[in-house]
Amino acid sequence: VVDSSEHTGTRTLSSTPLQILFYLNRWYFSAFILAEILMFIYKLLILPYPTDNAVLDLVLLFFFLCLEILRLFYGQKGNLCERPLYSGLSLFVLLPCSALAVYYLLLQTFVLRLELVLNAVLLCFYVLQFLLGLLSLSSFSRSDSDRNRPLRTFRRIHTHTVFFF
Amino acid sequence: MSAVTSLVPARFLTIIAHLVIVITIFWSRENNVKACLPLDFTPEQYANEDKKLVVGLAVTLGLFAIELAGFFSGVSMFNCSQGLLSLAVHCSAAVSLSFFVFEKWECWTYWVIFAICSVLPTFVEIILFIAVFGLKKKPL
Repeated sequence: VVDSSEHTGTRTLSSTPLQILFYLNRWYFSAFILAEILMFIYKLLILPYPTDNAVLDLVLLFFFLCLEILRLFYGQKGNLCERPLYSGLSLFVLLPCSALAVYYLLLQTFVLRLELVLNAVLLCFYVLQFLLGLLSLSSFSRSDSDRNRPLRTFRRIHTHTVFFF
Repeated sequence: MSAVTSLVPARFLTIIAHLVIVITIFWSRENNVKACLPLDFTPEQYANEDKKLVVGLAVTLGLFAIELAGFFSGVSMFNCSQGLLSLAVHCSAAVSLSFFVFEKWECWTYWVIFAICSVLPTFVEIILFIAVFGLKKKPL
């Protein structure tokens, strides 16, 4: 893969720490969802779980999963392709994800200690991604106005190529 | 390349698993402290043993900070030897500390787990730090 910086004369703006966080967050969230489902089954069997509350917690967990997949996809795509729109969308979806993490940390019907720790780690991920996401979003937006049209089109082709490899 | 796609996330998840259980032990350590005291213990004896265990757990968190710093800075993220060592010992720590909590092992057993599963990978991590930053070697 040819280094696109040599052709367009611009510096790579993708954030490596942010990409590392997205990559590890995907793995962590997979383990998190698995742990949450197992703990949900455990609580359903052991504790007097009201049916309405159980349905609510399960549906919210499903929403959490969908939002997280969406956020991680747009976050990684925005970071690797240096697209402000995708990065902004990822930061926007981060807000309901944080709200759901706080719900599972404090507000669900029965909260185990293990869930407290797991959600705290997840919120640490979110805080770091929010800060790094803001930094990368500002650098993407700032550099967009400095580019003229032909170079931008040329660069986009290369970044897409890099993304798919 | 396969090391990146499998060893790095596996190592990260085992470190987090160990960290989660250590934090959980802060809450549930009362049973373990009582398990290594006689039935007629005094409050002073309890406070003494409890303090020792809390110090051990706190030092463990400090060692976690060192290892995660090495991991995230890239010093040992792609080092396969350290990755395998960390994976093995943190996996062992997660399992044995689960027994520590559920079976209410005596509090002195924590130090055995601490020496093998926390000190060893952190010691290797510090060696890698010295090699990379001090001796200017490539972090692989």
